[in-house]
Amino acid sequence: MLRITGGRVYDPANGIHGEVKDVCISDGRIVAEVEGTGVRTIDASGMVVFPGGVDVHTHVAGAALNFARAMTPENQREAVKFIHSPELRAGIGGITPTTFATGYLYAGLGYTTVNEAAVPILSARHTHEELRDTPIVDKSCCVLMANNELVLDLLEEGETERAKQVVAWLIWAAKGYGVKAVNPGGVAAWKWGKDAKILSEPVEGYSKVTPAKIIASLAAIVNDLQLPHPLHIHCNNLGAPGNISTTLETMKLLEGYRAHMAHLQFHAYGGDGWNSLRSEAATLAEYFNAHPNLTADAGAILFGNSVTITADGPWQHLLYQLTGHKWGNLDVENETGCGIVPYVYKGSNLVNAVQWAVGLELLLLINDPWRIFLTTDHPNGACFWRYPEIIHLLMDVDFRRERVRKLPAKALKRIVLGDLDREYTLSEIAVITSAGPARALGLSRKGHLGPGADADVAIYNENPDRELMFRYPRYVLKGGQVVVEEGAIRKVVDGREFIVHPSFDENIEEYLRPLFEQYYTMSFDNYPVEMHRVEGADIRECG
Amino acid sequence: MNRADFIIYWGGNPADCHPRHFTKYTLTPKGKHVPMGRKGRTMVLVDVRETPSVRAADIFLQVRPGKDFEVITTLRALVKNQPVDQARVAETGLTLAQLQDLVGRMKNARFGVIFFGMGLSMTRGKHMNSAAVLALVAELNAFTKFVCMPMRGHGNVTGADVVMRWTTGFPFGVNLCRGYPRFNPGEFSTVDLLVRGDNDAALILGADPGATMPQPAIDHLARIPTIVLDPKVTRTSRLARVHITTAAMGISAPGTVYRMDEIPLPLRPILQSPYPTDEVVIRRIHEQVKAKPAWLPASFKKVPCA
Repeated sequence: MLRITGGRVYDPANGIHGEVKDVCISDGRIVAEVEGTGVRTIDASGMVVFPGGVDVHTHVAGAALNFARAMTPENQREAVKFIHSPELRAGIGGITPTTFATGYLYAGLGYTTVNEAAVPILSARHTHEELRDTPIVDKSCCVLMANNELVLDLLEEGETERAKQVVAWLIWAAKGYGVKAVNPGGVAAWKWGKDAKILSEPVEGYSKVTPAKIIASLAAIVNDLQLPHPLHIHCNNLGAPGNISTTLETMKLLEGYRAHMAHLQFHAYGGDGWNSLRSEAATLAEYFNAHPNLTADAGAILFGNSVTITADGPWQHLLYQLTGHKWGNLDVENETGCGIVPYVYKGSNLVNAVQWAVGLELLLLINDPWRIFLTTDHPNGACFWRYPEIIHLLMDVDFRRERVRKLPAKALKRIVLGDLDREYTLSEIAVITSAGPARALGLSRKGHLGPGADADVAIYNENPDRELMFRYPRYVLKGGQVVVEEGAIRKVVDGREFIVHPSFDENIEEYLRPLFEQYYTMSFDNYPVEMHRVEGADIRECG
Repeated sequence: MNRADFIIYWGGNPADCHPRHFTKYTLTPKGKHVPMGRKGRTMVLVDVRETPSVRAADIFLQVRPGKDFEVITTLRALVKNQPVDQARVAETGLTLAQLQDLVGRMKNARFGVIFFGMGLSMTRGKHMNSAAVLALVAELNAFTKFVCMPMRGHGNVTGADVVMRWTTGFPFGVNLCRGYPRFNPGEFSTVDLLVRGDNDAALILGADPGATMPQPAIDHLARIPTIVLDPKVTRTSRLARVHITTAAMGISAPGTVYRMDEIPLPLRPILQSPYPTDEVVIRRIHEQVKAKPAWLPASFKKVPCA
């Protein structure tokens, strides 16, 4: 039993905005009161108490990230090292941290739940093995579905009901939590070296299936299956100048459905070429503000080294041609694909400067913090351990303007960031880093400090230097145990994995089995991830 | 299997070394977009000698030993319509016409693949050859879809690579002596450590270096306390100080094996074994080692994070 006393508590989900009050913990959960002897007290006077952070969109495990690790030994060499000790496993931090280091780094930042946003079903077994080796944090996975040919073939034939059964079966086979759509149709087209740039045109290899049809069908299926997290969508034309029209069109298709728009920064550009690229964050925010069915994460970029990893294969080929840097491409049979290109965002580069501004503009122009969340699409825009730099930019308008002034003069005409006065409050930071993403993921025990919630708590020293404040929490508790104290890992606990079990007709296996024997290189019985590979599975039945 | 209509094997002999590759993955299966199976595909074999794989090929290109890099570089030039030196092409054992024909076929493929084996990656030029193939394939994507994949050897070598990467950040040649992973192939790779005699003990799991490594490395393994975990007697187990017999993976022990394309497959045992699995043995050794006092000085306990 534990009592955190004297701290200013920010628990926006329960309407608490900086009141000094006690937080009590028993058996790993928040409780209303603890009594009797043996209650440990943490004196949090002069500190702020937040619910543990929740990352709605990150890439921390799986075949693609692991391929990126192999591709960039030069990054690993200059990264922070984790030295083996009786408590800690050895590892490497940096841009693509090793699994154990990922757990330590997230916890060290006050984050206790992460959603791995892109899992191919064929290699989901591998993703779960890595997540098992990612300690402390709780985890969930979104499985890639918008280029899966089993699903696309059914949409081509108009068999929507059967497509729904197949999607449900696939989610359970992958032991996933949500459904992710990446560049719908574009990754399938990339198997032929093509892309899907226009939402109303048929996808390469199909006559009826268009990206628009895939988006609408999947949104409906996710809705029908009553998954806790809505369709998680990475729009077509990521990163391309002028892609605002595609993004708006996608959002219009989603009217009437809940949906989560991933890394919106990469989808809010105007102009018709790299030289005329400009921010369309204001246009996007205007539409978004008027449509409460949508949530989004920022996918902000920060200047510096990164590795771009995305299932968006055609975009990565373009990026390789643009940069001449290393390029890795993985095609995952008939399901999805992935491209990997190391990238450096430079403050002096016009395009990068606009991208940097767009991420912040979206966070500032979207009025409701409950619908836009802090992410960098780790490791694409920047590493997750750089989130405190973004918090600083959001909370301090003078500091932000000073940074804007350092951008190339040409960039200033393409952005509106310099005109925005909004400053985030601590309560709003608690929303965009924890309460909001937890709600969007449908995790009722995360992101708040009310009785019954998981006792995941981050306690920060109050400090006017917001970057420093959020970089080094004074304490981090996971499931009621103190895991971080003054920037050092004190105790390593295992995390859980949230998975969903949507209801489906068992007979769908009779439809799938012959298709597997014909078109898959893995036998049908070997395909589903076995339950014993998922550590600490927390299963939710739905549908 | 489902897409490739143009397949090149370079520096390998899959007919002998990867006997199921043609029939299960690349040549004969009737794929989703290659319904004709073998008839819908063209296979080119590039090697320094005639092997049993030649019989499966439509075109066989015999390169002079050690000239692979030159051939690949010439192909890269031809792909980009750059001039090439006829005399240099002649040194490779192939004619310009043969290479031009190959480039034409590559560009006209709907979906092309190059599988490269150790005949390319472990002969003169080594990693330079692999890098050249990767560059050639990357550049071909300006014309059509092209991918490549290494043909690997020795059981679950891909699985070892994959796990090393997520735990240490590096695929092989990792040194943990300082308490954190460092990577330097050529310095920390097994052969180099053994040949220099840097290590004073060896634990060998799922490999038979006594049959494959150079003699000075084998001599060192025989000199030091070497412990081998293996279901069967091998060259290495004969020279080892200790051989612990373990259950065979996939036959009497469960586990996971990674295919060469890094897709994990579960292994289900079909027989019972009186012997423990590798995992059980390693865990028991680890328990004993853990019971010993920590080797780190107390000051190391405070490890900064973030």
